[in-house]
Amino acid sequence: MNQDLNLAGSVSTPAIQSDWQAGRLCMQGDSYPENSYELFGPVIGWVEAYLAQESRPLELCLELVYLNTSSVKVMMDIFDLLEEAYQGGRRVEVVWHYDARNDRIAELAEEFKEDCSYPFVIRAMEVAP
Amino acid sequence: MDLLTLRNTYLQQHIMLCFNGPISRSLIEEIGHALRNYLNNQSAAPSAAMDVFAVYIEMTQNIRHYATRREYGEEDATATIAVARDSEGRYQVSAGNLVEDADGQRLVAAVESLAPLDAAALKRAYKQQLRRPRDESADSGAGLGLIDMARKSTRPLVASLQPLSSGQSFFSLTATI
Repeated sequence: MNQDLNLAGSVSTPAIQSDWQAGRLCMQGDSYPENSYELFGPVIGWVEAYLAQESRPLELCLELVYLNTSSVKVMMDIFDLLEEAYQGGRRVEVVWHYDARNDRIAELAEEFKEDCSYPFVIRAMEVAP
Repeated sequence: MDLLTLRNTYLQQHIMLCFNGPISRSLIEEIGHALRNYLNNQSAAPSAAMDVFAVYIEMTQNIRHYATRREYGEEDATATIAVARDSEGRYQVSAGNLVEDADGQRLVAAVESLAPLDAAALKRAYKQQLRRPRDESADSGAGLGLIDMARKSTRPLVASLQPLSSGQSFFSLTATI
């Protein structure tokens, strides 16, 4: 059986929840750990296991705010895993919600999207001031 | 201690925030937090505040990774960090650290090679670097950080290297946002 992830976020690491039953992986917050592969290793493992062992769709719901370059590299690896699955006929989707006042995260999400052929939704959220 | 001279130097150079000493992971977070608060209180545009913060993180994490890789002791693993505003209101993020001279020269060359690149060329360089296989010995996206800082800057990055009597050199990098 695969263990779902439920990591509380910290100042420099996002909160991460996976739901094997629902086929969903969610992350919220800032991500700038010094060693991103240490943090995201289990996340990549979960995605690989889910894609290999299940045939159901996978949805990534993101509310990431800031990513350092080392986190960007890991996210690209995760998006690449989804792309490979999608090319193999799998239903996958990314939905990235961002604070409407912060264009930078939308620009980053757009750059990721350029390299993905699966549904990749970037949606502004209105946040109370 | 002559704090007044220190204070006047800061004022003359429009330094809003400055740190000098051994830099730990938690200090990077604490100073980053203070920097974000400061920028918010200054009503900096959210995108500029984000860029200043991002450049600060890349610079300081690069310094930490370098010190770790070189197995520097606490005294050498120090960083000098300053965030200032220039006369035109642009933010300047600077960080400096001790390096081996050959490493410093490579860094300066890397920074200078980015200077002539326009936004489109920097984006291509960024994506290329992102796709490069991860070096197992390096635990960070080294190299990517410099290109990322250049992309977030409104002017080319400025790097300098000053030789020290110890045989090492002091590398400093400034990004203007």
